[in-house]
Amino acid sequence: MKVLFKPWLLALLCLNVLSVLTVPTAQAHGEKALEPFIRMRTIQWYDVQWSTQKFNVNEEVSVSGKFHVAEDWPISVPKPEASFLNISTPGPVLIRTERYLNGKPWTNSVSLEPGGDYEFKVVLKGRLPGRYHIHPFFNLKDAGQVMGPGVWLDIGGDPGDFRNTLKTINGEVIDMESFGFANGVFWHLFWGVLAAGWLLWWVRRPLFISRYRMLDAGLEQELITAQDKFIAKAVLVGVPVLVLALNAVTANRYPDAIPLQAGLDRILPLPAQVNAGTVNVDAIKAEYNVAQRAMLLQVSVDNRSQGAVRIGEFSSSNVHFMNAELADVGHMPGKDDVSNNGLSLDNNTPIAPGEQRTVTIEVRDAAWESEKLDGLIKDADSRIGGLLFLYDDVMGKRYISSISAAVIPKFN
Amino acid sequence: MSAQIPISTFNPYRGEKARLVRAYDYLILVLALFLFIGSFHLHFALTVGDWDFWVDWKDRQWWPLVTPLIGITFPAAVQAVLWDKFRLPLGATLCVAALLLGTWVTRVFAYHYWNYFPINMVLPATMVPGALVLDTLLMLTNSLTITSIFGGAAFALLFYPTNWPIFGMFHQAVEYHNSQLTVADLFGFQYIRTGMPEYLRIIERGTLRTYGQYATPLAAFCSALLCSLMYPLWWYIGKWFADTRYLKSI
Amino acid sequence: MATTTEHVSLSSENPKSLPWYLIDLPKYLKGFGILTVIYVGLRLYQGAFAIEHGLDSTEPAFEQYWMRLFYIELAIIAAVAGGFWGYLWTTRDRNLEQLAPKEEIRRYFTLTMWISIYTFAVYWAGSYFAEQDNSWHQVAIRDTPFTANHIIEFYFNFPLYVILGGCAWLYARTRLPLYAKGISLPLTLAVFGPFMILVSVGFNEWGHTFWFREEFFAAPIHWGFVIGVWFALGVGGILLQGVTRLIELLDRIPDAE
Repeated sequence: MKVLFKPWLLALLCLNVLSVLTVPTAQAHGEKALEPFIRMRTIQWYDVQWSTQKFNVNEEVSVSGKFHVAEDWPISVPKPEASFLNISTPGPVLIRTERYLNGKPWTNSVSLEPGGDYEFKVVLKGRLPGRYHIHPFFNLKDAGQVMGPGVWLDIGGDPGDFRNTLKTINGEVIDMESFGFANGVFWHLFWGVLAAGWLLWWVRRPLFISRYRMLDAGLEQELITAQDKFIAKAVLVGVPVLVLALNAVTANRYPDAIPLQAGLDRILPLPAQVNAGTVNVDAIKAEYNVAQRAMLLQVSVDNRSQGAVRIGEFSSSNVHFMNAELADVGHMPGKDDVSNNGLSLDNNTPIAPGEQRTVTIEVRDAAWESEKLDGLIKDADSRIGGLLFLYDDVMGKRYISSISAAVIPKFN
Repeated sequence: MSAQIPISTFNPYRGEKARLVRAYDYLILVLALFLFIGSFHLHFALTVGDWDFWVDWKDRQWWPLVTPLIGITFPAAVQAVLWDKFRLPLGATLCVAALLLGTWVTRVFAYHYWNYFPINMVLPATMVPGALVLDTLLMLTNSLTITSIFGGAAFALLFYPTNWPIFGMFHQAVEYHNSQLTVADLFGFQYIRTGMPEYLRIIERGTLRTYGQYATPLAAFCSALLCSLMYPLWWYIGKWFADTRYLKSI
Repeated sequence: MATTTEHVSLSSENPKSLPWYLIDLPKYLKGFGILTVIYVGLRLYQGAFAIEHGLDSTEPAFEQYWMRLFYIELAIIAAVAGGFWGYLWTTRDRNLEQLAPKEEIRRYFTLTMWISIYTFAVYWAGSYFAEQDNSWHQVAIRDTPFTANHIIEFYFNFPLYVILGGCAWLYARTRLPLYAKGISLPLTLAVFGPFMILVSVGFNEWGHTFWFREEFFAAPIHWGFVIGVWFALGVGGILLQGVTRLIELLDRIPDAE
């Protein structure tokens, strides 16, 4: 056995040697594996910002932003009747201290309405130093996780500086990091010693072959002695009495204990922010050119606003394709989820008030492939979805439309 | 297969044979320890799992129902062999102790040291008192029927009061951002679990209070009934697996 | 660990003077030690590289740190299965009719050690790394069947205990008369039932792919593993087979001080 096991150890050693080679650090959390139609047509995030990306243990950081719940919710995804705004972290390196939806604090899950607009804020506190890639995201019941945009957070300082104390309704101040730990260990040891004592009481004498033989020979009465019976009776009576007594003491100590709280939070959407009716956009057709990694979107724009508007951005699954012609809006150089020249139009002239125009938008970028959004053409549901941002430069206004259309693949 | 030995000719092992059978005992004990940690823990984690992992799953309705119901299985099956064939009244305690050993190692090294969850958030529940009652009752009565009815019921009824001294303190109320939470709920909110949204908890969410809000005793008595049925079922499952036949082919 | 009748004379000359029935004890203890080193090593590897490179299966680092480990595991598993099973089969005792009672007793002890090594591997697979799966999937978003814990648990730990269970089964079948004459039902249940846990991985991944995206550990898609592990209770039958046969054999050897 020894000889045969040696290659295993050698392999592990080799593995460790191989692993010292430098490779890029993971920057995402597996969101690319989720079908694109779910990422594009459920929670549509925008304007997500972090208060800071560098802070110390015990200091707070907040992430805030907005999201639109797509009207064209995929048939295969259960409706968001229970949803939970979460943070993807490699364990609780941060703790979540506050969370707001449309300005209201909430701690449980919430029902979202398709077509609804929401703004959120989550406050976190650094717990363990390190550099972590963190996303806000939604857990959608029975549908999975829909990620918001991620950033790197640098948490400095000393883990010993972390404090998380709270006051109960009865006024007791508790330290969440250690609360109930020593008590739990004590009771486990207490019962563990009793269990060990009972086991050792039997294990100390000959067991299997000896007892089987004696039982087979009709010597059962010698296997269970009067002393065994006395101890068993004491255990049989004493243990339940002790359990009930300890329970009574605890119940007396915490008379105001309450059950776990499990209500669904009820928070209504904001007044319409997306598809608000001032500038209407309707997607007519979408074609994806595989070779060019380009999505051609044909949309009909109906400008009912007071000013001329121009299409500045198409955003889907946290990738922002920007119109280079509108360098003054939303241009974000250096961000890896922004394609600054990714969007171009067949007609870049502003769409006048009252005008209805059919526009062909080319959204061309390697991100379709690198973000695995082009997987759409291989999905059972191949409809694209996203947010189209239109700007009125003069009035300084922004109009957002959530659009969707079936995608027709073009392979050459 | 049984080696029938008349009482009159029974000779206890002495010398080398006594040492040999004792060595065999120790080998079997080591084997059994890891067997029951591995098998009972897997069975338990994939059926009761979440209720035992997280402090904010330990509710009044499901936790005291599901845990004893699943927890009585292996103890009954192991007792069926150890008591029936060896008159060793330790099957239940052995299984539950093995489960706790495996659980504690995992909570410390997998949850805390690997993924930074505080251990007080993942404290396991204990079923040791119920197991001791099962073992002693079976020993004193030597009756499957009495152990099923009273032992099974006791195993379920003792579960919640056994664990209240550990978990009661986590049910103190906290006022938090205009709402009322328990300390346990707050662990779930604050110590972020990417894969565990709040709605995933299968916990008491409130229902018709025909019996005046006595949720826990109702769950415990329901569990007691089910455990009384589960116990003999698993006793026979244990017996079935302990078949000693040799087959001609498989 | 496997020996044939001829080895008895050699073993009785062991300078460490272990009793003749415990002659394989050092190999047994080394087996425990080696398995412990391997499992602890894998856990340390997870601690070092899982959070850094194991969160996204689409990153190149994931391929380097995790998929490479997966391929190495497959190669090792194939080699170990072939090596152990081949060795046990090719060195089988072809003369079992003339096996002396003392040697048969010793082999029962060695079989018990094999099963014990098997259950030690079941511990790591069924207890530690199994529940650790829940812990890891609270941190990583499952985006591949080959997550940083699955690569250890499903594709190394599961096959390894299957191999070791197979070793116990083969050892009994090739070296002990009763197990050679008939196929032990409880030993077969205790080895083949947990083997079905490995098969249940397919059901699990199918479920997670198509209809269950939540990290609910007690979910029905995991119950295939649960049913598989019930068969470990077959060890009770193996114990009874061993005890009854050992009683017979002990009656056939003289008493000694």
